[in-house]
Amino acid sequence: MKREWILEKNHISYWLRQLRKDRDLVGPLRNEGKDVVFMTVEQIHEVVLDLPASLPSPKEFLFPQYESMLRFNVSGKVPVAGPGAKTVSPGACVECSREGDLLDLADRRRRLVFGVRSCDVSAVRLLDRFFLEGFRDPYYEQRRKNILFVSIVCNNPDPTCFCIGLGTGPYLEEGFDIQLTDLGDRYFVQASSAEGIRTVKDMSFLFRRPRKADLDDQYEVFLSAKARFHKRISLESSRRAILEGRVKDSFWRRVTERCFECGGCVYECPLCTCFTVADRRYPDAVERIRLWDTCLFKGFTRMAGGILPNGKRMLRTKRWFYHKLVHYPEVFDEFGCVGCGRCAVTCPGRIDMATIATEMKGLDLDGSEQRP
Amino acid sequence: MTRSSSGNVYVPFGGKVEVVIPQARDISLFRVKTEAPLDYAPGQFFMVSLWGAGEVPISVASLSRDDAVVDLCIRRAGAVTGALHALEAGDTVWLRGPYGNGFPLDTSRGRDVVLVAGGIGLAPLRPLIEWFMENPGDAGRVTLLYGAKSPGEIVFRDEMEQWRDRGIEVLVTVDRAEGGWEGRTGLVTGLWQELRSDLQQATAYICGPEVMIRAAMGELFLLGMPEERIITTLEAHMKCGVGKCGHCYAGPRYICTDGPVFSYREVKSYGLFLSR
Repeated sequence: MKREWILEKNHISYWLRQLRKDRDLVGPLRNEGKDVVFMTVEQIHEVVLDLPASLPSPKEFLFPQYESMLRFNVSGKVPVAGPGAKTVSPGACVECSREGDLLDLADRRRRLVFGVRSCDVSAVRLLDRFFLEGFRDPYYEQRRKNILFVSIVCNNPDPTCFCIGLGTGPYLEEGFDIQLTDLGDRYFVQASSAEGIRTVKDMSFLFRRPRKADLDDQYEVFLSAKARFHKRISLESSRRAILEGRVKDSFWRRVTERCFECGGCVYECPLCTCFTVADRRYPDAVERIRLWDTCLFKGFTRMAGGILPNGKRMLRTKRWFYHKLVHYPEVFDEFGCVGCGRCAVTCPGRIDMATIATEMKGLDLDGSEQRP
Repeated sequence: MTRSSSGNVYVPFGGKVEVVIPQARDISLFRVKTEAPLDYAPGQFFMVSLWGAGEVPISVASLSRDDAVVDLCIRRAGAVTGALHALEAGDTVWLRGPYGNGFPLDTSRGRDVVLVAGGIGLAPLRPLIEWFMENPGDAGRVTLLYGAKSPGEIVFRDEMEQWRDRGIEVLVTVDRAEGGWEGRTGLVTGLWQELRSDLQQATAYICGPEVMIRAAMGELFLLGMPEERIITTLEAHMKCGVGKCGHCYAGPRYICTDGPVFSYREVKSYGLFLSR
């Protein structure tokens, strides 16, 4: 049920201003350090429209780095939702539902995230499956139900990008809410989800029907975007190399020598979802919170009594890649990677998906490295 | 304090500690009664918590009898279990679950059963012992091989006579004989020759420290037991119990939702032993 329109660029501020009326607008903004990052927009004119291909992942609006889950009143009185929760976790707990002595702090705020890339929309489709299949994660579910993504087709991919080999970008045929293609003075607008279509139709007076010239221009952007990719990466051949036993522990040991254990790849990855849970104590209450965690940290699997599986660094590197290259295809029939290239931008040791996949290609049948 | 009706899997429900029965140094059995009936199976676990301390996965140590009671056998090993050990009768403890797959009782139907336990690893097997006692026709001869570090660390000692009276063969060994111990000494894996069951036809349920599990599984396999009938329950660091937090991911499996009960075949093919 894909629908297509044209939005003149001089209408975009007006459109965003209208959209913001009944929800938070999140978009790419320049922070004090001049980096472009996703933040809640206060001033529409500050939204960066000529955005770079890669921004930090918008996953934090579905799965924030720090999230209050439950609040339990120690004194036995039902606590009032609001001030307490707000100071701890800004923006959370707008509509808390009560649960006996417990408050469920799931964030039900409505949001529109403007300016994400196709790779991130593809990542969200996988996150949906991870968080909502089997046991449903209620915190993800509430945020997801209330979020709308407006994505922008990549017309200028970074040298680190390789979505093209995975079918996760630079543009999508389906599975998005609203997708914009920058045609210079206007956007080609496509809506795919029911909520996306409704959102455009609510302000149909801003949009016109596309003409042949618009379609031609969009096609040209698609073609030129595809031609601009530097990397052609096949994760399927990496998966096969692992399953065929060509990737030995010696390979992972060598790779791990370059690992600083900073966790940057995990925090930047739009598909890394590991978290830890902790209780925060306050004079009158306890909050059960969750925080991003990473399998690359030594203590991640430590059990009571000091037993430490995966104590060797090499095992942790291997686990990260196995999860994305072997486990994800087995469970979801898709790689746990959308080719966004953020790990390549972040990692000081060049342990990123594209580099590792390329290095695996150089492995002989017996697992030894080919010498040039 | 009722079971969560919100549909939020992370919301625990409260239970009252009915009685605390010390088992050994740092190990106690907590009998917890909840308001709504509990329905759990041997081999499953609950996420057990105290507000302000945190949550830990604890295997059920009793057989579910539709009466809103569960036994949790807990060793004081860290911050949360330390806080749990301060609980007394009448105190409230919080539960989520039950989670996990549980023991596949079909695997032992009509067969002899060998239960192999080490230390507190007897606790997750106790519901099986109760099951076989109460359903004597379900399996053939049931033998428990149990090893503890020392006589003082034997858990469920008071119940073993009752188990014997009701048809379970119980063989106990300790690593170090102390305090006038006159029973067996040595590893639990040294007891195979005392078994009166045909191992090629029997089913084994194993729980204990990983080194013991690893040795027991390997030896039973070499003695001819098929790997699908060598069954264990594994332990892992867990934060959620529902396959989301990622901590217990091992091989391509989550211990919490795909396990914690696995056959030797699964343990080998997925590389589930944690200490590598």
